[in-house]
Amino acid sequence: MIINHPLLGPRDAAEFVYLGDASLMERPDPQGPEAADNFHDYAYLRKNPAGEHRELWYHEQGDRSWLVVTRNTLTHEISKVELARDVAVTRRGGQ
Amino acid sequence: MAEYSLKSSSALSGYNHDFDGIKLRELTGLSILSIAVPLSGEAAAKTAIHTAFGIFMPEIGASTTSANLAMRLVRLGVDQLFLLGQSSDAKPAQLKGTVYTTDQSDVWIGLELSGPKARTALARICPIDLHPKVFAIDAAARTSMEHLGTIIIRTGNDAFVLLSASSSASSFLHAVELSIGNTS
Amino acid sequence: MSQVNRIKGGLIDTNRSLTFTFNGRKMQGHPGDTLASALLANGQRLVGRSFKYHRPRGIFTDGSHEPNALVELESGAHLEPNTRATTVELYDGLSARSQNHRGSLEHDLMAVTDLLSPFMAAGFYYKTFMWPKAFWEKLYEPMIRISAGLGSLSMKEDPDHYDKGFLHCDLLVIGAGPAGLAAALAAGHSGARVILADEDFRPGGRLSGETFVVDDIAGAEWTAQALTELAAMDNVHILTRTTIYGAYDHGVYGALERCTDHLAVKGDKPRQILWRIYSKRALLTAGATERPIAFGNNDRPGVMLAGAVRTYVNRFGVTPGREVALFTNNDDGWRTASDLAAKGVSISAIVDARDQAAPATIPGAQVFMGQSVVDTKGRKGLKSITLSGGHTIPTDCLAVSGGWNPNVHLTCHQRGRPDWHEGINAFVPGGALPPGMAVAGAANGTLTLGAALSEGHRAANAMTKDLGFNASRKPAPKAEDEAHECAAFWHVGASRARAWVDLQNDVTAKDIKQACVEGMASVELVKRYTTLGMATDQGKTSNITALAIMAEVNGKTIPETGTTIFRPPYTPVAMGALAGRARGKDFRPYRLTPSHQWAKANGATFVETGNWLRAQWFARPGEKGWRDSVDREVKMTRASVGICDVTTLGKIDIQGRDAAEFLNRIYTNAWLKLPVGKVRYGLMLREDGIAYDDGTTARLGENHYVMTTTTANAVLVFRRMEFARQCLWPDLDVHLISTTDGWAQYAVAGPNARALLAKLVDAPFDISNEAFPFMACAELSVCGGTKARLFRISFSGEMAYEIAVPTRFGNSLMEVLMEAGREFDAVPYGTEALGVMRIEKGHAAGNELNGQTTALNLGMAGFINKNKDCIGKVLSERPDMNRDDAIRLVGFKPVDHSQKLAAGAHFITKGDTANMANDQGWMSSVAFSPTFGHSIGLGFIKRGHQRTGEVVRAVNPARGSEVEVEITSPHFFDPDGGIQRG
Repeated sequence: MIINHPLLGPRDAAEFVYLGDASLMERPDPQGPEAADNFHDYAYLRKNPAGEHRELWYHEQGDRSWLVVTRNTLTHEISKVELARDVAVTRRGGQ
Repeated sequence: MAEYSLKSSSALSGYNHDFDGIKLRELTGLSILSIAVPLSGEAAAKTAIHTAFGIFMPEIGASTTSANLAMRLVRLGVDQLFLLGQSSDAKPAQLKGTVYTTDQSDVWIGLELSGPKARTALARICPIDLHPKVFAIDAAARTSMEHLGTIIIRTGNDAFVLLSASSSASSFLHAVELSIGNTS
Repeated sequence: MSQVNRIKGGLIDTNRSLTFTFNGRKMQGHPGDTLASALLANGQRLVGRSFKYHRPRGIFTDGSHEPNALVELESGAHLEPNTRATTVELYDGLSARSQNHRGSLEHDLMAVTDLLSPFMAAGFYYKTFMWPKAFWEKLYEPMIRISAGLGSLSMKEDPDHYDKGFLHCDLLVIGAGPAGLAAALAAGHSGARVILADEDFRPGGRLSGETFVVDDIAGAEWTAQALTELAAMDNVHILTRTTIYGAYDHGVYGALERCTDHLAVKGDKPRQILWRIYSKRALLTAGATERPIAFGNNDRPGVMLAGAVRTYVNRFGVTPGREVALFTNNDDGWRTASDLAAKGVSISAIVDARDQAAPATIPGAQVFMGQSVVDTKGRKGLKSITLSGGHTIPTDCLAVSGGWNPNVHLTCHQRGRPDWHEGINAFVPGGALPPGMAVAGAANGTLTLGAALSEGHRAANAMTKDLGFNASRKPAPKAEDEAHECAAFWHVGASRARAWVDLQNDVTAKDIKQACVEGMASVELVKRYTTLGMATDQGKTSNITALAIMAEVNGKTIPETGTTIFRPPYTPVAMGALAGRARGKDFRPYRLTPSHQWAKANGATFVETGNWLRAQWFARPGEKGWRDSVDREVKMTRASVGICDVTTLGKIDIQGRDAAEFLNRIYTNAWLKLPVGKVRYGLMLREDGIAYDDGTTARLGENHYVMTTTTANAVLVFRRMEFARQCLWPDLDVHLISTTDGWAQYAVAGPNARALLAKLVDAPFDISNEAFPFMACAELSVCGGTKARLFRISFSGEMAYEIAVPTRFGNSLMEVLMEAGREFDAVPYGTEALGVMRIEKGHAAGNELNGQTTALNLGMAGFINKNKDCIGKVLSERPDMNRDDAIRLVGFKPVDHSQKLAAGAHFITKGDTANMANDQGWMSSVAFSPTFGHSIGLGFIKRGHQRTGEVVRAVNPARGSEVEVEITSPHFFDPDGGIQRG
């Protein structure tokens, strides 16, 4: 597979390490009222869609950036690649 | 005068060899300073680097050199650069605290591979497209060759610098030598 | 025997002769021959025995789709079984042998299996070898292994070497036949980077085997000109002898280049190269494969595909027979007759299954329209054929043509399903092709020359334009379109003798019918039941015929019956090529520690820990085994001073305004108040609350820390921290970089550690206990100005330091430490002594941090700071992870001190039965302690911290051992820590 890195262009997937569902970026609030339940879901529950999937890849043999890759698990078509840091910043409402 | 002194030894003992169409040598005395750009501190870092060393901040995947070519600044990522030179060229203090620096000189070994057959040999281990029009002079990429993390920089028409971890230097040299042997 | 079948012409160099042997017999051929063409030239029709029935077989095709002519090449370690003679380029000295027979090829003792064939029809194995069950392993399988199978393995290590590599292009053209050459020319002119690959040693495809004319010159000549033109273009890379064997994701193609197989003197270069080709677009111009017609005894040596017969005559100057007959259902087959007649080869009969007027007149040939071949005679070589009309015609070669199947294989590699094309009675590329791929020429069902050339040209122009290049303005090469009308005629129903469909796996038309009758409704089931198409040729010449027979039996059309798709590799790829360089010592890279040279010169035995080679112990003369060395290293360290290379521990440089806050969130304990110049132990959890890794982190400056990780987790911890900083807390200003390889770091441990280091540390730095107490750190210089880092930390429990200098000084520092340490009897120690001392001290390591244990289990609950969050904190508080009867890390010693302990033993309360229900925990680490003179262990046991002094049983059913052990503190050595603080 080839991942089109937003800064470096197309790179062989062999340079990357796969982690899994991008929901791993959404760490619950440890002070929240249902923190225990939320952390349980965060740690153990993943979507496993047959189709489009947002997932985390780490460019370990590259620039060490974490990427959010939108990949179709049936065809391997990659429709979007974002820097995870940008996604995280946006999620927190900018910086 | 201290009773004991420490001798420096390079990982590949100053390897230097001419093959048919390729020169391969260890870059001894290489100094590498990693520069981390603080969050929202790129503008200040840019200015400080230029003031200190006369080098412009390169784009990601590229490198720039000082006027006398003694120093080369390689941009490896959004907030990480390597300043390459000979020992004692670059003093972190010159950057006046605008960036975080880490001495990486001993983390890496450098090999210079040059000659008309360099690309052909590298194609055996390097997944990056090194076509002259794609990988221009001063282009830089961090990738993996024979399972070893490698930074490759094109320093001339047919010249490349490869940086790889010092602990696995002998395996890395073997991989490069074998690629040359298999192609020349 | 001379080259009795050699005729004039062909694209071979008859000025030079090559000598080779087949089954030990010397034969001659010429450069440009394949082994198959040379065998045919020498009149060798019988070349092998079939897989199941040991039927005599000959050469059936002219290429990589060959099902019959599989031979063993060379001998000894170089032996290569199951090589298709039709693809082997002849070289001087080649030696080949037929395979799958006992006794000689001519008199195969196993041929008796053919007589048993009535009992060995489809499903025979499934039905016969079921009972009794015990017979399978002892009798049936060994018996089958002897009688079936193809070539034999040398059982020696492959003496050749292989390489891999990476290529990049805008357009990959797969196949250098007419469409591929036209495409490569067009794309080459556009300026795009082109790779043109062909499996043959001579590009040209059918242009080499036919008498076509292109742009008013002979096809072979046009090919030569095209190649010259392409070779002159910088942007075109021609790969011959290279098979594109797989179409992978996102334009990645696998290619196998055979570099030295065709050379008489192989040299020292890699035999084959496995290329990974990165393409922006790919054009499949892989041509088509002719299919046979199934009829009685259609497998005799001398029965060949009609196109192959033309190839042997036109390309190789060899006639496969003296009296050639033709059996066809299409116009294309007739060209075999006309080409042979033009070369003066006698045509005995032309049999055309179509009941219509003959499309041509061939002088001297009897023509039988509307008839078919029902049977043949000639056990070891064709002698005659019998027609449906009753005629028997003597012939030594029957050319068979059942039409052409486009080579759609690579279009299926990402699950594309071919479509049925009525016009040519064949499957053409269909469904979703691999993204970026297009198909042109015969592979696309465009079976005539003129159309194939212009389709290749057009396709290349469209693709290069799409990539932003200016399409070639040159016109497409021109040629006529030959007649190619083809009837849907698959097999001869009137044949009573066995009609072979899959020649490589010996599957007959009757087998397929039987499978259908027995309820194998889908083609996938028929394949598995009969083994059709499951040989190394993946059914290239048999799949479609089988489908047609199925369709007929089930009263359906072929598209209704289905189709099978193909997976990589297109043709077999040697395991050696897939392994590439990764063999033996080159399986993976090694990492060497800075003191490696010194250790090697001083008796070290090395152990692989991950990629690292670490000194395990340093044997001295007179020591009888590793235990002697390890015991000595421990004793001498504890008595005076020992030195151990601990460079392999991960070192991560952490800087940034928020570095402390970052550490606070990564580690369970508190980090905000660690002063500069101090080191603290830290524990990391996984988010599920399980302990992950531990180590020390030193604060070197206001915003500067250096973390150590365990050797095994160095890369993983770095990855997790990058995840945390980029994905979880992007608002923190923190930066990470590994410095593991940058510092040679040695533990200097023992009562004389300070005295030894004091000899090296430059003035005015003071390392006295007052100035530099336990858990202090500093940047300083040693040996007259070499920069260094010093940490007052201890893994052994001794009064100890870790000293680090830049890696380039590492080997020298070891020498200097040993030199300066001579007055103290300083001793180097390896990973074994390190392990013994850490068990004596009760430090948890990988065996304890095993992914199942919590901080509570490890006795480190107090390390989880209650007043802040950290990774794993919330889930570590779950009640079930904090039960009263949770396992706790404690120490164990045998009640009888002479007994040895075993890691992995489980604890059972005295009096209880040793079963899972009574399991109390397990022993995680054991060692013989030279300090205490008996074995000691660390382990986890329920409520262990409250059971000191209790005796339990350590039961190890795997080793059949049981030892009574007493529960102790895990800190055997210096439990109050006075020594390490001293």
